[in-house]
Amino acid sequence: MKNRKYIFLLALVPFLLVAFLYEIIPLIMIVINSFQPDAGGGFTLENYQTVFSKLLYRKAIFNSIKISLTSAIIGIIIAFFGAKAAHQHGGKLNSVFMTVLNMVSNFAGIPLAFAYMILLGNAGFMVSVGKELGIEALANYNLYTTSGMSLIYVYFQIPLSTLLLIPAFEGVRKEWKEACTLLGGGQTTFWTKVGVPVLMPSILGTFSVLFANALAAYATAYALMMNNISLLPIQIAGCYTGEVKIRTGLGGALSVTMMIIMIIMIFITNGLSRHFQKGVARK
Amino acid sequence: MKKKNIGAPIVMLIIIIYMLIPLVVSIIYSMFDKWTSIVPEGFNLENYKTLFTDPAFLATMGRTVLMCIIPIFVTIIIVLLALFVTTVYFPKLEKYVQLICMIPYTIQGVILSVSILSLYVSSPTFLSNRLVMLFGAYCIIILPYIYQGIRNGMRAVNMPMLLEAAEMLGASKMYAFFKVIVPNILSAIIVSSLLAVGIIFGDYVLVRNLAGTSFQNMQIYLYQTMKSDSTKSSAVFVVIMMVTFIITAVVLFLKSREGKQHAEMKAKVKE
Repeated sequence: MKNRKYIFLLALVPFLLVAFLYEIIPLIMIVINSFQPDAGGGFTLENYQTVFSKLLYRKAIFNSIKISLTSAIIGIIIAFFGAKAAHQHGGKLNSVFMTVLNMVSNFAGIPLAFAYMILLGNAGFMVSVGKELGIEALANYNLYTTSGMSLIYVYFQIPLSTLLLIPAFEGVRKEWKEACTLLGGGQTTFWTKVGVPVLMPSILGTFSVLFANALAAYATAYALMMNNISLLPIQIAGCYTGEVKIRTGLGGALSVTMMIIMIIMIFITNGLSRHFQKGVARK
Repeated sequence: MKKKNIGAPIVMLIIIIYMLIPLVVSIIYSMFDKWTSIVPEGFNLENYKTLFTDPAFLATMGRTVLMCIIPIFVTIIIVLLALFVTTVYFPKLEKYVQLICMIPYTIQGVILSVSILSLYVSSPTFLSNRLVMLFGAYCIIILPYIYQGIRNGMRAVNMPMLLEAAEMLGASKMYAFFKVIVPNILSAIIVSSLLAVGIIFGDYVLVRNLAGTSFQNMQIYLYQTMKSDSTKSSAVFVVIMMVTFIITAVVLFLKSREGKQHAEMKAKVKE
C-alpha cells in the first residue's frame, strides 16, 4: 500500500519539470552569472563594481527607486481616501466605482503609455487645452522625463492599491467609531488615532506591492522613451537584447540588484507592520 | 456628520473621472480625422475598417489567442496534478508547491524573461526555440493566479469532506478528485484562466525579450503602429481595451454569481 502511494508522486513531475526549466534554474543561473565574467568561468565581483561605479547604472538605480517610491506613496494616499469613501458609501455609485477600478486595473503597459501620449504628449489633448486656456502647467507638460512619467505610474497604481485596500476597511469596526465619538473624539481624531494605526499593516503590505509593481514596470517606460532612459528594468533588458553582444554578467548583476531592492523593501514594510501589530495587541 | 456623507461620493467621482479620462480621450481620438484644437473634426470609422481588413492585424489576433490558450491549458493541468498529489497523498509537500507558485509573483516580467533568455539562447536543443521559451515563460508568469484560483476553489467546496463521501460510495481517490472535485471547482478554474488571459493579452515585456519583434502579438502590433500612424494605432488601442474589458466583465459576473450561490448554499444549510 505504501509503495502504491509513491507512484502518485509521478503526477508531480510535469509541474516540477516546468518549474525547474523556466523558473528555478533560470533564477539560479542569473545569480551565478552575475559573479562571472561575460566570457564565462571563474569568479569575479567586477560586474557589481561596474553597477555601482558607472554613472549610468547608479542613475538607473536612483531613478527606479525614486519613481517607485513617489508613485507608491501618492498611490497609497489616493487609495486610502478612495477605499475609505467606498467603505462609507454604498449603493449604485459604489458598484460603479468598483467596476471602473476592476476594468482599469488591466490598463497598463503599452496601451496606457499610448493613451497618455494622446493626452499629454507634445501635441496632446490636455496640452492644447492648456494652451487655449493659458494653463502653463498643462501647456508645458513634458511627459518624456522621469518625473513626467511618474503621472502614468501613479495612474496604474491607483486601481491596484484601492482594490487591495478596500477589504482591509472591513476590519474597522463601527463600535470603535462610536466609542471614539462617546469619548469626545471627532472624525480626524478617530482616523489618526485608531483607523490608520489599525489599517497600517494592510497599508504597508499594499505599499510594498505597489513599490514592486512600479520597480518592475517595463513596457510603459519603454513605449515612451525606448532605451533612452535610465531605469533598472530598461537597463537590464538592454544587456540582453541590444545590438551588441549579450552581457550576461552585467545583466545578472543588475537583476540581482533589483531583486535585492525589492527584498529590502519587503523587509522594511514587514518590520514596520510587525511594530504596528504589536502596538495593537498591547492595547 | 453631513459633510462626510457628501465627501465620500465626491472622492469616488473624482477617482472615477480620473481613471476614465485617458480612455475616453483615446476612444474619441480613434473616431475622428484630426484633433489639433479642443474640438475634434471629421467623424468617421475609417480606422476600424482598415484595421479589420488588414490581414496582418487579423493574423496578430489569431496568434495572440493561440499564445493564451496553450500556456493556460498546460498550467491548469500541471497545477491540478500537483495539487491532487499534495492535497490527497502528501500534504507536507504542499507548502513547497505553494512557494514555487508564488515566486513568479515577486520576480515579474523583466528578470524572468532575461534569465530564461540567457540560459537557453545558445542551447543546441529545441529549448533554444524562441516560441518554446515564450510558452515556458507564460506558464510561469500565470502560475500564481492559476494556483490561487484552484486552491481557493478547493477550500470553498470543502474538499476533504467531498473526497471522503466519494470514497465511501466506492470511488477511488483519483476518480473522486477528477470527477467530483474538478467539476465542482470549474468556475474557479474559469475565473483564474480568464485572469491569466488578461495577463498574457497585456504582455509586452516577455514577448519582446523572448520572441523579438518578429513574433507579433497585439501589444507589439500596437507599439509598431504607434510609431507610424497614430490614428490607426488608436483603433488598435480601442480593440485591445475592449477585449480586456470584456474579460474583466465576465470575471466580475462569474465571481458575483459564485458569491450568490455560496450565500444561497449557506442559507440552505442554516434552514
